[in-house]
Amino acid sequence: MPLETKLIALAILVLVATAAGIFWRVNTGKAHRVRSGEQVQLARLEATKDGSAVKAFGKRATFVQFSSEVCSQCRTTARILGEYETKHKDVLHLEVDVTDKLDLAAHFNVLQTPTTLVLDGAGRVRARIGGTPKHGAIQEALESLEIR
Amino acid sequence: MSKPTPTQIDPRGPRFGAAITSLLLLVTVWLGLDATTQDAAFGLLVAITALFAIGAIFGNSRHPYGWLFKMFVRPRLSAPKELEDPRPPQFAQAVGLFVAAIGILLQLAGVEYGVAYAAGAAFIAAFLNAAFAYCLGCQIYLGLKRVGVIR
Repeated sequence: MPLETKLIALAILVLVATAAGIFWRVNTGKAHRVRSGEQVQLARLEATKDGSAVKAFGKRATFVQFSSEVCSQCRTTARILGEYETKHKDVLHLEVDVTDKLDLAAHFNVLQTPTTLVLDGAGRVRARIGGTPKHGAIQEALESLEIR
Repeated sequence: MSKPTPTQIDPRGPRFGAAITSLLLLVTVWLGLDATTQDAAFGLLVAITALFAIGAIFGNSRHPYGWLFKMFVRPRLSAPKELEDPRPPQFAQAVGLFVAAIGILLQLAGVEYGVAYAAGAAFIAAFLNAAFAYCLGCQIYLGLKRVGVIR
């Protein structure tokens, strides 16, 4: 193969990889509005908090973070959402490991982890964040909840 | 959460390794594009496959790149902001092993540019990990479990 062709092939490869990386970085962690507003059955999540079962949604909002065991971003996400929860007493953060709860993952169509559902005070899904939430994405999602 | 969590690692370790891997894979693609250097490309891919196997089986901390990182790179860096679970990068090594092994099989089956295709695919994943902190396990592990490819 001529040298020029090889150089072009390599350049295309590096450019495609860079473009894919930029595309991923731009789109990951954004809050997307969910219009269907599915009512989440809290018991189905089998969520625990500090060792005991969770019985009620957060008054203003609940973050349901789906995690798996092979997921380095889940820790970062849990920290970010946990910090938000500490600052806002009416917000609840739940982390659900779906590694062995594939029916739950299928029900909420979780393909990547972390995936975070933002629920309103009544436990209806209002927004969805794939990946580590971007700076401001949580605030944005909560503000859009209050419009209605 | 209920399962015991293995010892946490510095997340920059696997990314350092991924940077070396992506460079080696780029060289492999280069060599694999020419009939005169096909054999060298194949040899390099076999070596990379073996390194992926070490990472997939023993984890990044017992990988040669992990050792290089600990000996020469980590001492020059400040403490990491956050530690990381070793299982996601180990999973990524297993995916790398799978893709690199396909390249070996393609070459043995006599497929033209087989090594270059496989090395190119593996390069994209390794490069995304090194340059963008892309976490392959986060993206595909659950999906693979859901369709039953892994248990």
